Amino acid sequence: MTRRLLLLACSLCLLAGMAQGVPCDRDGDDTLTAPELATAILDSLDARFMGGTVEAPSPVDLRDAAFIYEHWDGRTLTITDSSGRTTTLSRPLRRIALFNSDTLEMMRSLGLEPDRVVGVSKYVLEDPVFYPEYQGTANLGSTWAPDYEQAASIRPDAVFLYATLSESSCADIEKTLRSIDPGIRFFRFDSYRPATYAEEARTLGLLLGKEEEARRFLSFHRNVTGTVAGVVDAIPAEDRVSVYLESWHDYKSAGKGSGYDEKIELAGGRNIFGENPVEYPVVDPEAVISRNPDVIVKIVGAGELAFGGYGDDDRSSFETVCRTIGNRPVWDRISAVRDGRVHIIHSDVIGGPEYFIGTAYLAKWFYPDLFTDLDPRAVHQQYLEEFQHLDYDLDEHGTFVYPA
Amino acid sequence: MLPKRAVLLCILVFVLAAPAAAGSIERIVTPSGNGLDITLTLTDIPVGGIVETLPDGCTWTEADHPENRTRVSGQQVAFAVIGEETIRYRVQGPPDVAEAFAGTWEDLLTGESGTVGAGEPRNPGPGAATAPGTPGFGCAAAIAALAAAYRWRCGR
Repeated sequence: MTRRLLLLACSLCLLAGMAQGVPCDRDGDDTLTAPELATAILDSLDARFMGGTVEAPSPVDLRDAAFIYEHWDGRTLTITDSSGRTTTLSRPLRRIALFNSDTLEMMRSLGLEPDRVVGVSKYVLEDPVFYPEYQGTANLGSTWAPDYEQAASIRPDAVFLYATLSESSCADIEKTLRSIDPGIRFFRFDSYRPATYAEEARTLGLLLGKEEEARRFLSFHRNVTGTVAGVVDAIPAEDRVSVYLESWHDYKSAGKGSGYDEKIELAGGRNIFGENPVEYPVVDPEAVISRNPDVIVKIVGAGELAFGGYGDDDRSSFETVCRTIGNRPVWDRISAVRDGRVHIIHSDVIGGPEYFIGTAYLAKWFYPDLFTDLDPRAVHQQYLEEFQHLDYDLDEHGTFVYPA
Repeated sequence: MLPKRAVLLCILVFVLAAPAAAGSIERIVTPSGNGLDITLTLTDIPVGGIVETLPDGCTWTEADHPENRTRVSGQQVAFAVIGEETIRYRVQGPPDVAEAFAGTWEDLLTGESGTVGAGEPRNPGPGAATAPGTPGFGCAAAIAALAAAYRWRCGR
């Protein structure tokens, strides 16, 4: 730790001792009542505009009090994050730092004001098309290579990390930053796992004072996932299409309990390597041929296939990948290749907070006759416009699936 | 940066910020007997504050707003807003000052502020004047404060 960092740590430790209860709670019972808030508002107006000499709350205290009254019923908020940790807050979060870009995207779906974010991961800064409003925000580095000095210097009141991804790296970040500034609150959310997605959105909505926005977003999310589930749940196990999923690394598939295995299942498919105990096994091409999948799904967007997505309008690369799979030795015997059911999908719409859009694409590919009315592209466009607040036209920009 | 990315960045730099509901307050002044009835109609200001400056010649009478959310000092009246959508108050004074009321508001959740201005009379009913709220609390507050200071200096 550098000398500058140590100096910063000492001064922050001193400030941390100045923690307060609920602002404007005059009787100190940890509950801000309507009369207490009204008195605080009147005192503030009196002092600022009416020449009064009464001791008024600071503007920050008054705004925090208004937030707590409106969103937390005038009380402290106790929440449990996805790591199972319980935290009690007596102030709204005004200076948020995120190492987890997936949680930033989910927060944007909930209408988080960008000026409440003081630090983001380097991946956000490397994606100006999807995160234009955060270009210029402090760069925290990554979960694997954090910039501690930067993270401490922006004085966050909360730091968000992954709950189940890179757990040891996240634990190291938390430990180091806590030693620098004991006042920082740490929250662990994944924001991309189907099993915890809705609950995380609800919790974040409460935490950020965006309860109504969370309800609206989850209604949209539920509409999509429910439409898919309502159809595929009725398909008997023996009638489900068999699926071979491959990541951007050739022959690297998805095993039992992996995120992609879960998404195949949500879309009504049967993962041909779903019984493999390795989360992401490298499989033998012969094993794929012998299991003869009905559908092949190839994911691009990382590794040697780092193209496509929001910042790339060139769709030819997807076509090349699709053709290459069909040209693998003896793969023309596979039903999926023979029947033209090889699909390419970008990780942006299947691996992160947009997983439900990718799942809709999978379901449509698996059962085109059952999902004639489902339009994943329209779902995607609505998500971008209504919840991500991006002026981005999918008809003109981006490459996410092939064949489109 | 690849040229196509640069073009995209230019296209997408116009991000639509999460649209927060913009607050406003409309005032309707209606002559009644030997005084005036004032109705403030609040839109999208769940928690906030209002300072109304009464015209010269007007004296405060009463409000339907809770007493512990109202404070009167000279020609100025402060209202604490906690969930109310309408505030009615009454003053004694001549009917021809309907357009001379001045007021400012602020939304404590969004930080927005604005003016409850006199002027721009509309036609909400016989003998009534109305003015919509507009943004710019700092400016409005300064004008209100100047008006109050002027009255004070003039001994009014």
